[in-house]
Formats: sequence, structure tokens, C-alpha cells
Amino acid sequence: MNLDLHAWTAAVYLAAALAATLAVALPAPRANRWAVGILVVGAAVHALAFLQLHRQEPPPPLTGLPFVVSLAAWMAVLFFLGAARFARLAALAVLVAPAAFLGAFATSLAAPAAASLAARTSPAWSHAHVLLASGGLALLGVAGGAGLLYVVHHGRIKAKRGLGGLPLPPLEALDRVNVVALSVGFLLLSLGVLTGVMWVRATQGGFWTSDPHASATLVAWAIYAVLLVARFGAGQGARRSALSAVAGFAVLLFAVVGVGLLT
Amino acid sequence: MKLLLLGMNHRTAPLALRERFAVEDVRPGLGKLVAGDEIDEAVLISTCNRVEIVCAAPRLEPAQLRLRSFFERELDRRGDAARDPALDAALYEYADTGAVRHLFRVASSIDSMVVGEPQILGQVKDSYRAAVSCGACGPLLTRLFQHAFSTAKRVKNETRIAERPVSVARVAAELATEIFDHLRDKAALLVGAGEMTELALERLRSEGLARIRVANRTPARAAELAGRFGGSAHALDELPALLPRSDVVLTSIGGDAPLLDRDAFLRALAQRRNRPIFVIDIGVPRNVAPEVNELENVYLYDIDDLSAAAAANAEGRRREVVTAEALVLEEQQRFDVWLAALSAVPTIRDLRDRAERIRRRELERQLARLDLGPEQQEAVDALTRAIVNKLLHPPVSRLRDQSDREQGLATLETARALFGLDESGDDEEGDER
Repeated sequence: MNLDLHAWTAAVYLAAALAATLAVALPAPRANRWAVGILVVGAAVHALAFLQLHRQEPPPPLTGLPFVVSLAAWMAVLFFLGAARFARLAALAVLVAPAAFLGAFATSLAAPAAASLAARTSPAWSHAHVLLASGGLALLGVAGGAGLLYVVHHGRIKAKRGLGGLPLPPLEALDRVNVVALSVGFLLLSLGVLTGVMWVRATQGGFWTSDPHASATLVAWAIYAVLLVARFGAGQGARRSALSAVAGFAVLLFAVVGVGLLT
Repeated sequence: MKLLLLGMNHRTAPLALRERFAVEDVRPGLGKLVAGDEIDEAVLISTCNRVEIVCAAPRLEPAQLRLRSFFERELDRRGDAARDPALDAALYEYADTGAVRHLFRVASSIDSMVVGEPQILGQVKDSYRAAVSCGACGPLLTRLFQHAFSTAKRVKNETRIAERPVSVARVAAELATEIFDHLRDKAALLVGAGEMTELALERLRSEGLARIRVANRTPARAAELAGRFGGSAHALDELPALLPRSDVVLTSIGGDAPLLDRDAFLRALAQRRNRPIFVIDIGVPRNVAPEVNELENVYLYDIDDLSAAAAANAEGRRREVVTAEALVLEEQQRFDVWLAALSAVPTIRDLRDRAERIRRRELERQLARLDLGPEQQEAVDALTRAIVNKLLHPPVSRLRDQSDREQGLATLETARALFGLDESGDDEEGDER
């Protein structure tokens, strides 16, 4: 793993995080434009880091936690930048940029891990699983972030206090990004679980494993499934959906990162 | 060159007095004002809150008299301002640094009735352009006004003086933009009528509101309002059908009991699949039951909520005035430095001219008494010239050095007073015989 480029990526994301924090704390909404611009640069440097990684001989394992976190952070940034082109969502950078920084920074600190036997014996399923699950983690992370901002902003407008004090995105934009990120993120997560099952089958012969990562991921998947049914089937309100997205992401983060760190 | 400002504003003069002196086309008056010798350049600012004349003049006192007479004879619509004691109390006057600072405060909207309002800068720019177009504005006022515009821009960019809206209508419109991403696909429902709701609706429309429906007890009134806002007219009994199709609801209608209750909104939300509704209730008594705000996707603001938000924003702007005043002071000092540098050249020239006049006169007087040959006369001439030059060298150097510092203007004024450069009396006055 090329640590230098990931360190550069982390530095750029940190600059974006500082600009986004200043934008909300001062408040200085113009700083959000800077944050978005810096994130664009960060995403480009991040892509170069992956390219350099890909060209290493032998290539490092893509199933390692540092790589998954880094890939999810990059995908989250890309999704955010895409969403910010269509709605007034620049202030969401206050959550996306620090998360991206943490992802890239953790990767830059991690030592290269050896590929597991399972990954070496079934590279196609393992790569598909990592790519899809990382995408799901990224989008559901953005959904959780947007949900958190929605709950805060909704509370401020309802309580009628200090309007405009925090330059947050409009509720409608936050809800829209929440819905899109949840829908696409859930699809990617489902495909990630499916490819994970196929990977287990290819390497261990069964369809399931007692791995805590698999169990926690299944719990998170179930939370999102209930959430989406409640939202689209039962007409649940945006605020409750936002709260559920925050809770769902907390469980998913535990399943992917927490379990990985604990085991 | 002196700068002078004479005027009245909303703090010193009531509307009745201000409207007597308001001018629509400032150019004819300005033409007359700069036609005489007292005033070289002038700009007249006339808005609903102020009438002010800024001018550049060679001497202060004649300019003061001319400006006062201009107010009384040319601007007063009633024509008897000279006999009106209220005018004396209403007029304020600033000279030089005071005039610069006042103009910078006006352009930066610190001196406005609603601090931070954006219109005043445009009005000051219009006044300046009008003065330029009729030839009343010369290089000094051009520099002064350009500096005022850049100061206003700096204040706007470096403070939050104009950031938050302070009118109920604008607060309502801003709230709508905090709830909705944009209003291009949103529909508004106006129930009843009233100045404030109409202003708010106008504001929302300027933000891009897509559709407007008007419901009123009187069909004719509904049709009139719908015509004005380009919407459709409806009767009040259509409200249950209109509510689910409305993203923004503005109400201001008479009645003892709330017209729209919690159940009405519950039904509407069910049909809207919980898409949010922003309700602005200006009615007194309230037209919408307060508990409606407890519904998750309804955001209800009544007149007290909007007024409180507007007042909080106004207070925030007042706090920013301290920062804005510091910026204005900084820019005023910069302008003073420029003005001082501009004034150093004529002061030095005046000083040299005066010294040379004295030297020549004394030389001629003494040469007439003495019987000296041409060579000796030349030697005495050179001697006196050298003495004068050596005597003048330190003050001239100091004037040049000081002119680009903050105290430059004060130094120049002191020099002019010490050497009597503005006195028109005989140079021999006070000379030893």
C-alpha cells in the first residue's frame, strides 16, 4: 500500500474538514465552497493513491480493513460531490470531510497486511464483496450524516430558535440525499452480503459463517430493510427515517470497523 | 480644498420635513450649486430617509453659507424654510474628516434606519452617477465616492451586518429556503389577505415560487389577489382540497376560532405522503391552531415567531456595527492620508511663494538704500536666496514626509496656520521695520 499518497489524501481531506468546520462554526457559508473544492482535489489524489496501489508488485490485499475504509471514504466523497451538484448540500461537507480524513488517515497509518487464504483462493468473489460492501458503507454513511444534520436542523426550525445561526442544508435537500443514499446504499449492501455469502461458499463450502462481522452486518442489513419498508411502504416521516439512518449506520460501522478492530 | 457635508436624515427630521426637501432629479440643482465660486464639486443624495449634499470647496465658510442657502432657496418645496426653526434643528454639518466618515457610514448602511439594508449603496451610487452626468462631480469627489463604495463593499464582506433579514416578510422567505431546497416546484396557498402576507408572498414569488392559489371569503377579493399574483382564486370551502396541494400556506383572515386545525393538517399530510408544509400565520387571532406545529412535517410560524426572529436578526446586525465602524474609521484614515498627500504640494508651493515675495521685497528695499555695484548686488541676492532656502528646507522636508502619514492633514493645517498661508493680508504685516 502506498502510504505517502494516502497521507497526502488525508492532508487534503483535513484541509476540507477545517474549511467545512469553519463554515458552520463562524458561520461563514462561503467556506463551504472552499471545502467542496478541496474535496474535489482530495478525491483526485485519493484516486491516484488507489492507482499506485494497483500497480504495486505484488498487489496488496484488497480485503484488508484499511483498504475497505479508504475505499468507502473515497466513494462517500464522490457521492457527496455528485449530490452537491444538484442540491444545496455543500454544508454536508462538515461530516463527509472529517469522515474521509479519518478513513484516509487510518489507511496511511496501517501496515500492509498479508492476504488471507480465503481471499487468495477466491479473488473474484472477495473483490466483488469488498467493492459492493464498501459502496454500501459509503452511501449509508452519507445517509447517516445527512440524517444527523436533518435531525439537528429540524429541531432548530421546530423550536424556532437561532434561525440561520448554523448554515445547514435545507431539510428537503437533506431528506432527498438521505432517501437516495439509503436506497442505493441498501442495494449495494445487499449485493455485498450476497457476494460475501458466495465468497464463504467458495472458500468454506457453506453459506454462512459464525464470523461476528457477518452477524453484525446482517443486523445492520435488517435495520435498513425495516427502515426502507417503513419509509416507502408505511409513509414514515422524514425525521424518523433520518434517525433510523443514523442508528443503522452506527450498527453497520460496528459490523465493518468495530468487529474488525476487536477481532 | 475643503470637504463639506450638509443634510438631514430620518433621525434628525420627521418625514414631513424630509419630503419637503426630497429631490427627484438632482441635476438642475447641482448645476446651479457648482456654477458659483463657492463650491467646486457637489453630489446630492436624496432618498426617502435622507437629503444630503457633499461638496468640495476652496474655502469652508463661503461654502457653508452657499449650501445653507441652497437648502432654503432651491430645495425647499414650500419656499419659506428660512423662517422654519425646525430646519435648523434638522440639519447637520460635517467638514473634512467628519464628512468623509459620515459618507462612508451612509454608503456602508451603518447610518440607515434598518442597519445593513442593501438599497442605500445603490442609491448613493445613483446620486454619484447623476452628479457625474451633469458635470458637478470632479476628481476629489470622484475619489471620495469610489472610496466610499469600496468601504461599503469591505463592510459587507468582512462583517455580518447585512446577512440576516430583519423584516417579517424576508424572515418568512428565508425560512422557506431553510425547509425547501428550492421553490421552483412549490405551490403556495394564501388564505385571506393582509399587507404582511402579501409582502411575504411577493418575496416568495421572487424566490421562484411555482404556483399561487388564493382563498378568500369574498370571491371578488380572491379574484383580485389571484390576478395580482398570477394565481387562481378559490372559496374558503375549498380549503380541505387545497391544503394537500400546498407546500407553503400563508394565512391572514378574520375570525374568532382557528380556521385550520390539527385534523385538517393530518389529513393533508396523509395525502402528501408526509411532504413538509410551511405555514405562516399572520392572523390575529391566529388562523391556525398552535398544536399544528407538533406535527412532524408541519412548520408553523405565527406573527410573534416571525417578529422575534426578525428582532433577533436586527440585534445581531447592531452587534456587527462595532466591527463595521472600525472598518469605516480605517478607510477614513486612508482617505485622509491620500487627501493630505494631495494637499502637501500646494502648501509647499504657497510657503515658497510667500518666502520669495518677502525676500524680494526686503531685498529691493535694502538695495535701494545701499550703494552697491552689480557684483555686490548679485552676491547679496544669492546670500538672501541661500538663507531662505536653508530656512525653508526643514519645514518643506517635514511636510513632504508627514503628508503620507495619518497625521498628515493636521500637520498641513498647522503649517498653513503657522506661516499664515491662508491669510490674504499684506506680507509686510508684523515685519520689523
